[in-house]
Amino acid sequence: MPLRSAPLPRMAGQLSFMRSQTKSISDVRSGDLAVIGIPFEDTSASHAGQSLAPRALRETSVYFGWHANPQFSHPVDIDARQDISTDGLHERLCDLGDISSGPDDAIHAALKAATLQISGKGACAIILGGSGPLSETVRGALPECQTAQLGGIPDEALDFSIAPLTNGRELTGELSHSKQLAAFSEWRDSSKPLFVRFDLSVFETSLSALCDRPRLGGCDLDTVAQWLGALGQHDVGAIMLTGLNPSRPGMGVVKVGQRLMVTALLAFIYARLGFGIDHPDRQTSKENVLA
Amino acid sequence: MTAAITTFHPPMAQPGYRLFDGPLRDAPDVSAGQIGVVGMPSDWTHSSRLGTRFGPDALRRATTLLQAVRPNGVSVDPDTGMRAAPAADWLIDCGDAEITAQDVGATTESIAGMTETLTTAEAIPLALGGDHYNSFPACLGYSRGLAKRAPNARFGYIQIDGHLDFSDRLGAWGSHNHATNARRISELPNIDVSNMVWIGITGWVDGGDLALIEEQGGRVFSAGDVHKMGAAEAMRQALEHAMKDCDELYLSIDIDAMDAGYLPGTGSIVHSGITPRQYYDLLDGLSDAPLGGLDIVEVSPPLDPSERTEFLAAEMLFRILRRFRTRPVAEQ
Repeated sequence: MPLRSAPLPRMAGQLSFMRSQTKSISDVRSGDLAVIGIPFEDTSASHAGQSLAPRALRETSVYFGWHANPQFSHPVDIDARQDISTDGLHERLCDLGDISSGPDDAIHAALKAATLQISGKGACAIILGGSGPLSETVRGALPECQTAQLGGIPDEALDFSIAPLTNGRELTGELSHSKQLAAFSEWRDSSKPLFVRFDLSVFETSLSALCDRPRLGGCDLDTVAQWLGALGQHDVGAIMLTGLNPSRPGMGVVKVGQRLMVTALLAFIYARLGFGIDHPDRQTSKENVLA
Repeated sequence: MTAAITTFHPPMAQPGYRLFDGPLRDAPDVSAGQIGVVGMPSDWTHSSRLGTRFGPDALRRATTLLQAVRPNGVSVDPDTGMRAAPAADWLIDCGDAEITAQDVGATTESIAGMTETLTTAEAIPLALGGDHYNSFPACLGYSRGLAKRAPNARFGYIQIDGHLDFSDRLGAWGSHNHATNARRISELPNIDVSNMVWIGITGWVDGGDLALIEEQGGRVFSAGDVHKMGAAEAMRQALEHAMKDCDELYLSIDIDAMDAGYLPGTGSIVHSGITPRQYYDLLDGLSDAPLGGLDIVEVSPPLDPSERTEFLAAEMLFRILRRFRTRPVAEQ
């Protein structure tokens, strides 16, 4: 699909993730980053609204659709003074839309099938939740994967947990970031792909207030972005975003939580694409673009 | 003194607030050395999240409420130990400029007319946004007034902001909008880009805009720079750069440089931005700067149901205007 020739106002046009191309699942290719939304939530949540998260995340992602906006030149990370290449982003990133609504069983079956198809093609699924329990379905579709989890409540002893909620197993709580990375390297089995669960509760609550599981003492954005950038350099079968409730009572107008998640997710996407990451084994952007 | 108020457009709910509960007068009636307040309740030059049209009224309310809970007599600043008492006749609220939706030329001239009048009279225009585009007409009027008052004078420019706002155009909004205000200011006759400084820039910026600024001698301090070197040092370097061979300073305060965790009520939020303490320290660094004019923009009350945004912004005004609104009191 050619790039658009004129910039589109952010609130207009087809709402795809970062203004990426839209595809059907059958057209996903090896190496793609395939975004899929699951706008559903379990009824046990304390506040309704997590089903609105996929749309909220897409709306916010449009702010980062640099590659589709010809009036801008390349972006620069102002702190690192590092040029960010967007070559290939348009070819590799695609939006598959949302899982269709239906009975619970049908939703879980569709999510499982979609995850299997995307990973089976050698692509990485970026799954926009939706409430956390849906990630169990994704995990079930990827039994060969190791699971790394940011935030949320860990439920498998074999998982690697980064800043879990307090009733979870604290693998990394008192370690410095470099020691945490070392612990991750020790845990990681590079013969297996990764499944990354990215819950909004990894962040310090005062940063967003849009999380149904608030926590004090969570991570700041830089820490989460560093983790996602590091995880993105591995073979990742799927990453799933959960925990965002854009309609938290009284806070729906404050679109801070989705901005936090998408900003951090960019580090993962750019690491997967091999852009702007100082990693000795990374591919250059041109090498990494499929013909 | 003129007989009738001609520029004030009363708010819908009378009696309305004035900034710092100051008196209400026409712009031509403001005297040299006084702060002259100009409201710019316009947000139709913003490209996404609106609401800053309610900013001037929110700032007037917040400054008045905060002032009401401060001491009327001598007080001590806990940070500096300085003793001060409220000053008198230091600020005049001139009401709002006339905003003509969809007519950027008319709106620009309306705002610029008021700030030009104030600057010509050697008063200091303080413009209340509105979205950040309105900073350009406020500075345009200041530039014109400065040229009348001191034809050879030049001014430096500091913009505290999460974004550069240095684009030449922005899509359907063309050349005059909240992403182009600094670019338009750079084209005024009595300023050079080498005297323009940005502080608090966050995240990704347009590489072409950044290169254009730095190739012409402008300077950019990111939020990370502020975190690393400290706010006071960042502002010291910024002021030195901006004031090289200049006579006065124009300051543009975009509240969105502050991290959205603290300040969500603005159209273009940033993360890993600067903290309230750092923001106040930046403004404290201008306590002796030759301030010729200033604006504060992007306060959007509808985007923050907690109302903390407008009170944080009001505190910014308390900081930057401290030397005007108080007078020092000697130790007893």
